[in-house]
Amino acid sequence: MPIEIPKDKWAGSIRAITIGATSAEGGTRSRCVTIGGETTMPYLHFEAPTPNKPVIAIEIKSRKPEDWSPLLMEVWGEAMTDPAQWAKKSEEAGADLIALGLTVEDTPDDAVRIVKSVLSATGLPLIVWGPGQAEKDNEVLVPVSEATKGEKLVLGICEDKNYRTIVATAMANGHLVQARAPMDVNLSKQLNILISDMGMPKERIIMDPTTGALGYGIEYGYSVMERLRLAALQGDAMTQYPMIVTPGFEAWKTKEAKVGEGVPEAWGDWKARAIHWETLTAIALVESGADIVVLRHPESVARVKDAIEELITA
Amino acid sequence: MEHSITFTGENIDAKVKVSTNTLLADAAHDAGIDIGQPCGGQGRCGRCAVQVTSGDVRRRSTLRLSLDDIAQGYALACQTVVEGDVAIYIPPQEKIERRLTTDRVVAEVSVPSDYEYPFTQSVRRMHLTLTPPSMDDQTDDWSRTQTAFRLQHRMEQIVCSVGLLRKMGEVLREKDWRVTAIIETGNLEEGHPTRLIDLRAGHEDEYAPLWGCAVDIGTTTVTLWLVDLVTGQVKAQVAEYNGQISRGEDVVSRIIYAAKKSGGDELRQRVLDTINGLLELACKRVKLPEGNLTPEQLVKATIAGNSTMMHLLLGIPASNIRLSPFITAVNQPPTSTAREVGLNISPEAVVDCLPGVASYVGADITAGVLSSGLDNAENVTLFLDVGTNGETVLGNRDWLVTCACSAGPAFEGAGVVNGMRATTGAIEEVWINSETLEPTYRVIGGGKPKGICGSGLISLLSEAFLTGILDKGGNVNLTAGSSRVREGAHGGEYVVAWGAETESGEDIVITRVDIDNLLRAKAAIYAGFTVLAENVGIPLETTDKVLVGGSFGKYINVEKAVQIGLLPDMEWNRFEFLGNTSVKGAYYALLDWRKRERISEIAKRMTYIELSADNSFYDAFTSALFLPHTDLRRFPSVESALGKV
Repeated sequence: MPIEIPKDKWAGSIRAITIGATSAEGGTRSRCVTIGGETTMPYLHFEAPTPNKPVIAIEIKSRKPEDWSPLLMEVWGEAMTDPAQWAKKSEEAGADLIALGLTVEDTPDDAVRIVKSVLSATGLPLIVWGPGQAEKDNEVLVPVSEATKGEKLVLGICEDKNYRTIVATAMANGHLVQARAPMDVNLSKQLNILISDMGMPKERIIMDPTTGALGYGIEYGYSVMERLRLAALQGDAMTQYPMIVTPGFEAWKTKEAKVGEGVPEAWGDWKARAIHWETLTAIALVESGADIVVLRHPESVARVKDAIEELITA
Repeated sequence: MEHSITFTGENIDAKVKVSTNTLLADAAHDAGIDIGQPCGGQGRCGRCAVQVTSGDVRRRSTLRLSLDDIAQGYALACQTVVEGDVAIYIPPQEKIERRLTTDRVVAEVSVPSDYEYPFTQSVRRMHLTLTPPSMDDQTDDWSRTQTAFRLQHRMEQIVCSVGLLRKMGEVLREKDWRVTAIIETGNLEEGHPTRLIDLRAGHEDEYAPLWGCAVDIGTTTVTLWLVDLVTGQVKAQVAEYNGQISRGEDVVSRIIYAAKKSGGDELRQRVLDTINGLLELACKRVKLPEGNLTPEQLVKATIAGNSTMMHLLLGIPASNIRLSPFITAVNQPPTSTAREVGLNISPEAVVDCLPGVASYVGADITAGVLSSGLDNAENVTLFLDVGTNGETVLGNRDWLVTCACSAGPAFEGAGVVNGMRATTGAIEEVWINSETLEPTYRVIGGGKPKGICGSGLISLLSEAFLTGILDKGGNVNLTAGSSRVREGAHGGEYVVAWGAETESGEDIVITRVDIDNLLRAKAAIYAGFTVLAENVGIPLETTDKVLVGGSFGKYINVEKAVQIGLLPDMEWNRFEFLGNTSVKGAYYALLDWRKRERISEIAKRMTYIELSADNSFYDAFTSALFLPHTDLRRFPSVESALGKV
């Protein structure tokens, strides 16, 4: 007897969003990345195909980060001192996008120069984050946004207490924004409303629901993402945005990934453990509906890519 | 085409010629008449209403005008153009404000029609004339007094305190063995003997005032009404911040403080100081032929307050209120005396602490239910107490369910930089011109402003939101384009009154931190009643009436409270503002023992729902943490108001 699998019919869908612009579209990227467009819960192929597969961004910094794990220092080596080099190596490692984090030491001129050097070193679309302090973010992101008009960068990170300046400059210069709220469906939705209220076109917002690493609250992040997707599919226009999450940042904060000495022997090989941690965190988030995962280690990138491939073709 | 427009009114008599389609407001301006337009001429506030007594006009918008108003010729000067020769009457501003339908003003307190001293009053005075002692009759003073009670009033088994015995000998002899006894009538069948409260020399006029007070101990504000128990009239109403505020703004931090070494004693003393101070203040307002009334003359106090406040007043440890499963030491405290409690009124005066329901639904709510009449309502009614502990009761005469959530003191003016209680000098209403962002405000008492009270904060928040000074998240838009919007020490702020206009000479502002506190308060209250209604399965819009209590002002502008998402978006005429329902309930219980018994019944009938039992409250809270709400579809009237500004 043939078994008929019951299918859900949803009223809403996730918006498809394109990052980066080629020369034909007014930018300089060699290719663009399109994400979103889902019409059902993640990877339920019997209900609907996944129109755009999740993509991986590799996180690089404008200056060599002193507090990163020695394992990351080792694998990226000298490239970490030159963001352009680092971006190039990231592209070789299989990144779909580059996520460039500016630091507090960067002056507005530095920021513009570094972003431009990364843009010329790679043809990938670019995400640019301010250093993470409201005033400083606004100070560096505005000139970067103006100097890269038309590139369709993703600028971030917008939060409820500081979003106006970033949104305004992104609107004026044809960029996208990353909207981060602290692991709460309502707060995510509220920030999306605030940004839309400023007149930002809906296809230029990517939401960042914030997440935790494996063992550090990932289940909470997972369920928030799941609920955001459910709300979107049920027709809530203010949650119908693709999601970006930063499992690399989260996983490499954990003691398990960061530290190799003075830990129980039963934890096993440090390097294997650290990469597992980042990989598992990222894959779980992909399964809960992430459209962009931002990673740090090239080995994790390869493994998450494989996992995505399996999810898509399974 | 030219038309001639005449204006009349108090001290107004002017004529001007204007062309077709000129706004009445512009015509008035040309005639040298200033018609106030607080909202900036957008037809939002209705303050510029004038009466067209003859001639043709065209009303672009009639928002704020009822059909009745229009029939009477009312038109908004900022929204009405002339189409012919017109005669206009400009009514005095007070008349306009009274006519506006969205303000809900608390009714004056009136003595309940069924109050009849001494029949429904548990405390009364009695005249005694004792037979003087002699060598033949060496009966002791107290037995002699009891004999007089028995022979002259048929009263047996009266109890008397040692304190009264100490002064008895002197009092009996002062006016030749004629005395006035103040007693609390007992009920021997229930094991309560009649108790002697005071003994006064001579025969007082039987219907001279006998003094008592009703008290509401709020977490933030303590309110006291001084009452003549003979006529039932309220003779003074006073309020002050609870002296415990400096030791924690909410009940939880008070409980924690009370658990510290001597913390409980300190908090008890602080609230006693507040009440005793209010007693002094209230007594000063009553002039008697023999001088001012003194607190020692009060013979009864009825006290309402949340469970924590009641515990702290009585010096009962409150720690278990805070700890799961949230148990009070007592919900129905026994009747006590002023001496025992520590009130500076007549030492043996009755102190009646009203009964509560649970840790977070106290006597303030049972008293509030009584005074709001919710327990007799035919249809399902929602009762909200907009106070520090945002309690909600839903029900009717057949059932009552209740919940509580911590809202914080913002609507009582505490925890807000320029907040204050609703008293003289408080800004109680604000309008902001959406073009210039200049405010117009009204001050209680009409003098220079000292701060902003709850009702002022509600209208300020709403106006700042509608005019784009605030975004939906409550962020101050520093690029709004006015010098009043500026960066302050704690983020963006809006200047409501410049130093030159204020009592202190300092600017009166609302800051980002204030706005966050107000948002949290309104979100907690909104989430409380929505989750309660969901729990019971009653859609909010089917409730017949919404009764609003709170001590944030003498009125609430329902429209403004809806615009910030504090109250549900329903027809304005379904709201009623009752002011401080808790002190009013205590007042009823002070007067009438039947009402007092009713409160005990109400306490037994109420079903308490614990909001922390699942996640639904938190979810409702964060979604309400937005202006007016994350789900704008719940607020259709606000959606349309946003479209208009």
